[in-house]
Amino acid sequence: MNLHALKEALFARGAALGFTDMEIFYQSTNRFSGNIFKGEIDRYTIAVDGGLAFRGRLNGKMGYAYTELIDDSAIEMLLDGAQASSNVIDSTEEVPLFAGPFTYETLDLFSETLDRITPEERIALLKEIDAACYAADPRVALVNPCQMEAVTTERLIANTRGLERGEKLNRSMLLVRLVVREGGDSKTAIRFLPVADLGGVDPRALAREVVDEALSYLGAEPLESGAYPILLRRDAAASLLAAFAGIFSAENVQKGRSLLKGKLGQVIASEAVTLIDDPFLAGGFASRSFDSEGVPSRRVSLIEGGRLNAFLYNLKAAAVDAVPSTGHGAKASYKGAVGIAPSNLYLKPGALSFEEMVAATEEAVIITSLQGLHSGANAVSGDFSLAASGYYVKGGKIVRPVNQITVAGNFFTLLQEVEEAGADLEFSPGLAGYLGAPTLRIKSLAVAGR
Amino acid sequence: MLNKVLIQDLIAAALSTGGDFAEIFVERKRNTSMNLTGGVLEESVAGRDFGVGIRIFNGLNSVYAYTNEHDRERLLPIVLQAAQAVKGSRQGDLTLDLMVAPSPGLHGIQVNPIDVDQARKAAVMREAYAAARAYSDEITQAMVRYLDEDQEVLIANSEGTYVEDRRIRTRLAVTAVASNGSQSQTGFYGPGAHMGFEFYDTIDVRHYAREAARTAVTMLHADECPSGRFPVIIDNEFGGVIFHEACGHGLEATSVAKKASVFADKIGQQIAPSIVTYIDDGTLPNLWGSQNFDDEGALCRRNVLIENGVLKGYLIDKLNGRRMEMAPTGSSRRQSYKFAPTSRMTNTYIAPGTSTPDEIIGSTEFGIYAKYMGGGSVNPATGEYNFAIREGYIVRNGKIAEPVRGATLIGTGFDTLSKVDMVSSNLAHGQGMCGSASGSIPVNVGQPMIRVSEITVGGRKGK
Repeated sequence: MNLHALKEALFARGAALGFTDMEIFYQSTNRFSGNIFKGEIDRYTIAVDGGLAFRGRLNGKMGYAYTELIDDSAIEMLLDGAQASSNVIDSTEEVPLFAGPFTYETLDLFSETLDRITPEERIALLKEIDAACYAADPRVALVNPCQMEAVTTERLIANTRGLERGEKLNRSMLLVRLVVREGGDSKTAIRFLPVADLGGVDPRALAREVVDEALSYLGAEPLESGAYPILLRRDAAASLLAAFAGIFSAENVQKGRSLLKGKLGQVIASEAVTLIDDPFLAGGFASRSFDSEGVPSRRVSLIEGGRLNAFLYNLKAAAVDAVPSTGHGAKASYKGAVGIAPSNLYLKPGALSFEEMVAATEEAVIITSLQGLHSGANAVSGDFSLAASGYYVKGGKIVRPVNQITVAGNFFTLLQEVEEAGADLEFSPGLAGYLGAPTLRIKSLAVAGR
Repeated sequence: MLNKVLIQDLIAAALSTGGDFAEIFVERKRNTSMNLTGGVLEESVAGRDFGVGIRIFNGLNSVYAYTNEHDRERLLPIVLQAAQAVKGSRQGDLTLDLMVAPSPGLHGIQVNPIDVDQARKAAVMREAYAAARAYSDEITQAMVRYLDEDQEVLIANSEGTYVEDRRIRTRLAVTAVASNGSQSQTGFYGPGAHMGFEFYDTIDVRHYAREAARTAVTMLHADECPSGRFPVIIDNEFGGVIFHEACGHGLEATSVAKKASVFADKIGQQIAPSIVTYIDDGTLPNLWGSQNFDDEGALCRRNVLIENGVLKGYLIDKLNGRRMEMAPTGSSRRQSYKFAPTSRMTNTYIAPGTSTPDEIIGSTEFGIYAKYMGGGSVNPATGEYNFAIREGYIVRNGKIAEPVRGATLIGTGFDTLSKVDMVSSNLAHGQGMCGSASGSIPVNVGQPMIRVSEITVGGRKGK
């Protein structure tokens, strides 16, 4: 498809229909995914796909449409769809299109090294990891999935205000999840690993790490209910942050969906909390030089030493507050309208390693996994009550594994009760962006168990 | 969508490297999504999805490719590339006789929402919004989301299957926020059906909006839920999500075939009290999780999973059926052409029992009553599940007492199943989106009111 020609034709036809501002956003993906199960290729997926989104202002109102079928009827479908959409919406909010300045960071987002890796090489590595997991301990019952995914994404955006910008990014990740069994007891562990090049992955070390973690949960039991000091391990901390990332969206603040309304410049967290959104993070899965509206990306410090510094903006929310967009206009794909989302969002790490943090703990519950974040966490009130598992720590040592407990608290309170951030910052990919956190020491949360 | 000759050629190309089964899934979907916040219809998106998914088996190995290319010149190379991943021995020339299977036409549609003017859809949203706001001064915000979709699929495979199905679905989701300045609580209701725009003639949207608002206001004034182990009474309709998580996912071949489920190898065993019968039925007319055909082209059907407490069957797809040496059950599903299909739930429910809701509450000295449930999740390997109570109450001396908020239920599927001690007769279904290996799909969860003699309840009040 010749996107440039399509754009010219679309904008010309749109202008004839009365559309004033118009924008197209094209995203295409090239994906490979392979799964190994007990030494055999279990699933193997290749994909080439893409979609074209259009939005345009008609009678002062912005209408949206998208299509995955890019054929002769695409232009007509997009204009009809956007016309019907713009007719029905209310026009109280201005939705500006980006008119510059078109000055962007130059980022190195596409790795030739990664691009050269063949599916066969990936499958071979997966087989080694799969075998290493089973070899690591006789109690390993299942490794599923043992999966690698490699994705190349290309984004293009152009509008009638002079914007035309494209970017290509490739990323690869490894996922290993396994089940260990002893007697009637089954426990699982999961590990996500961004892959920059295959040589950087040591199958045996990786297998050892995941297997050891799963084994460490065997024999887990609930704790007595009560309030406990908490060590929220890096991955669990990142998942909790992901569930509440929406509170930093200026749109949510404007619409009364974030309790951070009116708190800009105030202390909302302990000194140990510094929260940064960095779209330029090297190797970040959400790294980019421009957002889904073509606005140049920039690094934003949301919380600095406990003080709320900024919110995340797209153009629409920025117009409401009469400030510049921070470049956080986001679309999950070409589908849907432009919302607001973080890019690579992370809590700044502190000095102590995870082991040092444990050693310095008199009594605490280490939370290594939080479940039910999509239902048990209320982003509006900040309340959460979540299924959890991990370990019980006493006198600086892990005493035993813990499961079948819930931890309950409030995210806004938790921010104030972060006593310390560890040095073990780690990222995991999520729906809300690419989120990272170090292990956090929390003063206390309510644990329900026995 | 694609002509038969091209489909035959694609299947032949898919099998050219020795695969023993090939399937083509073509999908075209038109959809509308609209958002109304604070009385303002902010967003309306019209969309058209199109894509082709190609699946090739070689024994237990499965290769999947998808694309939104639509012409022969671009599709064939992708199919051949996928076939390169299959290292089998070629079976000889393929003679393929694609037989069109007639649709049972179980889910009649009267008004395709794609043909309905957006203004009429907006009117439904505004009616819901107004009803939510009018419920109480404490309702400070309401969001209404409108969705409709018209999904046309064509599924053909090397066994001669050739079916077409059309799934038209409609849903309205209302979220109400109640605030008193420092505190905010939300309520939600999201009715939906495998129906056209006539759905709105069958329901009173104001009722659902008021219920969402009532939940939000009730929870605003509720105390925090105590934690501990209590009897829990779960009301009908979306309350069925507990079994969906605690049991349903563990019965999907996705986890059973690899023996990653706690329910593997237990057919014929008593795994629940005899008052529990659990059924998945994709044929129920016009329900949210219904279809005529599943996404492997098999007729949807009624599958009894647990009968009088005895495990009778699993939900099985073609690939896992090979591993299990069991036949597929007509319940293989996928979000779109971007996913290979696998065994999933459709409309899953606990069959009605003989108790009445009054008997259940009346016979409970102290416990938690979950009027509405939120979502949850499960780890099938351990059976550990969790889910949130959206609107809960304390039950004291046989009566529903004060409301409580922030409660989460956790447990393991087996344990919870074994502790179901009362099942009432008021079966109803609720609508949800279920996320798993083959994406996010519409499912119904259902049950009559049930009681579980003990579940771990996590709340913020402590003991």
